[in-house]
Amino acid sequence: MNDLTPEKTERSKLAKWSRRGFIGAGVLAGGGLLIGIGVRPGNPIGELAPKVAGGAGEQLVNSWVKIDTNNIVTAIVPHCEMGQGAHSVLAQMLADELDAAWEDVRVMQAPADGSYVVSAAARLFAAPFTLNAADWIKPTWDGVFTQISRAADVLITGGSSSIRSTGQYQMRVAGAAARKMLVGAAAESWGVPADEITTRNSTLTHEASGNSAPYSEFASAAAEQPMDQTPQLKTADQYRLMGRSIARTDIPAKINGTAEFGIDAQPDGLDLSYAAVVRPPVPGTRALSMDATRAQEMGGVLQILNMGNFVAVVADSYWQAQQAIGMISIEWSQSDSPVKTMDDQFAIFAAALDEAGEDGGEEAASRGDAATALAEAATTIDAEYRAPYLAHAPMEPLNCTAHVADGKCQIWTSTQVPLMARSEVASTIGLAADDVIIHHPYLGGAFGRRLGSEYVAMAARVAQATGYPVKLIWSREEDTQKALYRCADLCRMRAGFSQDGVLTAYSSIFTQRHDPAEASVPAMYDIANTKVRVAEAALHLPFQAWRSVDHSQQGFFVESFIDEIAHAAGADPLDYRLAMLANAPRHKAVLERVAEISGWREPAADGTAKGVAIVESFGTIVAEVIEVDMSSGSPKMTNIWAVCDAGYVMNPDGFKNQIEGGIVFGLTAAMYGELELRDGAIIQSNFHDYKMLRMEDVPDIEVAIIDSGDVPIGGAGEPGLPPAAPALANAIFAASGTRIRDLPIAKQFA
Amino acid sequence: MHKPAISAGLALTILLTACGSSEPQEVVEQIVVREPGEVVTEIVEEGDGAQGTDLLALGEDAFQMCTGCHVIEEGAPSSAGPNLHNIMGRVAGTAENYPYSEALATSGLTWDEATLDGFLADPGGYLPGTDMLAGAVRDDESRRAVIAYLASQSSGAGE
Repeated sequence: MNDLTPEKTERSKLAKWSRRGFIGAGVLAGGGLLIGIGVRPGNPIGELAPKVAGGAGEQLVNSWVKIDTNNIVTAIVPHCEMGQGAHSVLAQMLADELDAAWEDVRVMQAPADGSYVVSAAARLFAAPFTLNAADWIKPTWDGVFTQISRAADVLITGGSSSIRSTGQYQMRVAGAAARKMLVGAAAESWGVPADEITTRNSTLTHEASGNSAPYSEFASAAAEQPMDQTPQLKTADQYRLMGRSIARTDIPAKINGTAEFGIDAQPDGLDLSYAAVVRPPVPGTRALSMDATRAQEMGGVLQILNMGNFVAVVADSYWQAQQAIGMISIEWSQSDSPVKTMDDQFAIFAAALDEAGEDGGEEAASRGDAATALAEAATTIDAEYRAPYLAHAPMEPLNCTAHVADGKCQIWTSTQVPLMARSEVASTIGLAADDVIIHHPYLGGAFGRRLGSEYVAMAARVAQATGYPVKLIWSREEDTQKALYRCADLCRMRAGFSQDGVLTAYSSIFTQRHDPAEASVPAMYDIANTKVRVAEAALHLPFQAWRSVDHSQQGFFVESFIDEIAHAAGADPLDYRLAMLANAPRHKAVLERVAEISGWREPAADGTAKGVAIVESFGTIVAEVIEVDMSSGSPKMTNIWAVCDAGYVMNPDGFKNQIEGGIVFGLTAAMYGELELRDGAIIQSNFHDYKMLRMEDVPDIEVAIIDSGDVPIGGAGEPGLPPAAPALANAIFAASGTRIRDLPIAKQFA
Repeated sequence: MHKPAISAGLALTILLTACGSSEPQEVVEQIVVREPGEVVTEIVEEGDGAQGTDLLALGEDAFQMCTGCHVIEEGAPSSAGPNLHNIMGRVAGTAENYPYSEALATSGLTWDEATLDGFLADPGGYLPGTDMLAGAVRDDESRRAVIAYLASQSSGAGE
């Protein structure tokens, strides 16, 4: 089924590579075992090696596991905790392979500072290591860059990748290797065969001789044992912790309020000032001049800066800074963008598609001969779909605390990409990367927004220019109106049917392709002739990956149009899909299961109807059925069912949380999400006009999991989202006959 | 802004050239009210006396409290609260593109000095159901000044 997506070949090569990590072991200062897991040289990413490592023989290590003399196991992982629960599940995977006592396992986020990069610990490895990978992964999250960086997975949290990359290929390997070395050391010391030693709860036991010892006793000796680069991992029937809904370790602190997020930064010994900022209302413009006569007389105001691409006020408190910045009149440069309204933006998209015509544009995927099949089709159907720009709107406002002194810069911020932020700060204020220290606590939501680091660089610039240690906070309005966005797009679809009503051709063309490459391609369906094209068109607002990236709009385009095709063929949309999934047994099973749990084939209550959609994204297949009640004339969701096949689910409760979160995020966008333009500037500003779904809008969501076994495991953070909008739109069609081809939905029924 | 998805080879080229492309940014203008570590000395406001008698200036200052939710520049999009340009003489609940509370939209009020005075003194008491939960101007003189300032920002009402 991959014949449609040449990109997939590249992907699988990278995925194969990432399975072969490099592991090495050393003794901790003060005793204990330290294991590092990283990138092996000579892999397909080798051309990048000179940018990654400082010299010949150097390695990139991105996870560390240590066993201390107090029997505590600590893993340092390259992933942030932004509510997705990854740390807790990574600990589960490590502890299980290591046979460690669950309560003695800790997972920490790697600090993006010099001590992590070239620590004394690293020198204990056979070769020195460096983590200075920031520069080469910088322009990521766009097209193929994402594939590379995701594979390398260096201090990036995104792509629904923590469990399926770091968990599978680093935590489990490290745990299994460490366990084997501990057993080896004990066997030597006790003079017994290694295979007679059992491990459980961080304890080594040799029953015949009566020997028993905690791991800590052999932690240092274990480092002298030969290291197995490909240790035997457990099979599912041997799991003790994996596959269980163990309570997340980060929840207590989040409930009792002790969890620290970026915005909570209050570094010891620093008397913080606060910065408010205003950025240009239209992308690409600058502050030419400012009149701050009134602002500079206001209480608490310390300094006012025009930095060209933003204006900042530093004051004793954030309130004072925010009040003062509103009193500055700023003259902005004129934008040369032709886009003043969304109509202009869609006209640019339409022009690109018009120019591409029947045959132009770049071919993204092709099977058979769609052009001929369409020309010969007895009947064809066409549809044009639109998706709006969307903001990420994370609950924790964008913020960064920066302190520049003595040739060093310290940063406290919520970020998905600490090393990229470090690199951006360094180049912005003219320091070496080693002199920038990034502290990055929990993230209060991100959804892709915190893959960008401009707010971090801004804080560093303000701290450097003013000499004050500052906590810079964007207002909600700034983040809604002047940030980075999920792109809008226009997509034209065409399907052809033979004389006897068989679907013979499928074609789509659109203008935006970022990542993942296969998002626009309905590869799983048996359609004889398929062609997917891209005709690139310029975006007025800057792009940033948004939860599920291209799948967020392509899921809607593709699965809505498949629904149109089914209705045109006079078939039940779920059965029609099933009939096209003969070569995709996992997809078929997922769809059959969702039909079952949603009561798809049972008669619907008056005024209600169900819609279905199925999308595979980030390695996980998700089918959703949404039931709507249209009896009031506008859609009211009454039930949602989701069935997911991620291969194997490490923590079912955490996985379901993520799927539910993805569904709600996707439905929020489908119902309300929209950014409109006036004079090239965004009109929406805050949660009153950029609405979220409320508790009362969200019905029960039932999530079922299929563990299909021996396949690479899939992600959780994003895959719940793509089928949500089309399932809802398809339900609305089934209930009312109104086909939704434009988002958001709510205003179309206002 | 849009980068096309491209082949890995080309991607690397761009990747490498992108390194070190961001230069240290220069400050266009910097107003220093106080340097770090500077001892704060009492500043005698020269304009103090004049300001006290200038109702409009007082009003503009007092209006800063309102800017957390309101804008007043002509044509600027409403933020959390509606744009207040031309508020004098406007029928309550009629600014464009703003989702008013039911209470305000159906109040039938026209904003003038008297209605604004009553509303601003106690929004929830004057118009139960309003979304304006904060921002009451309880001080009589401040309220008079804010209303004068609002009037000055309304065409035909004494610009």
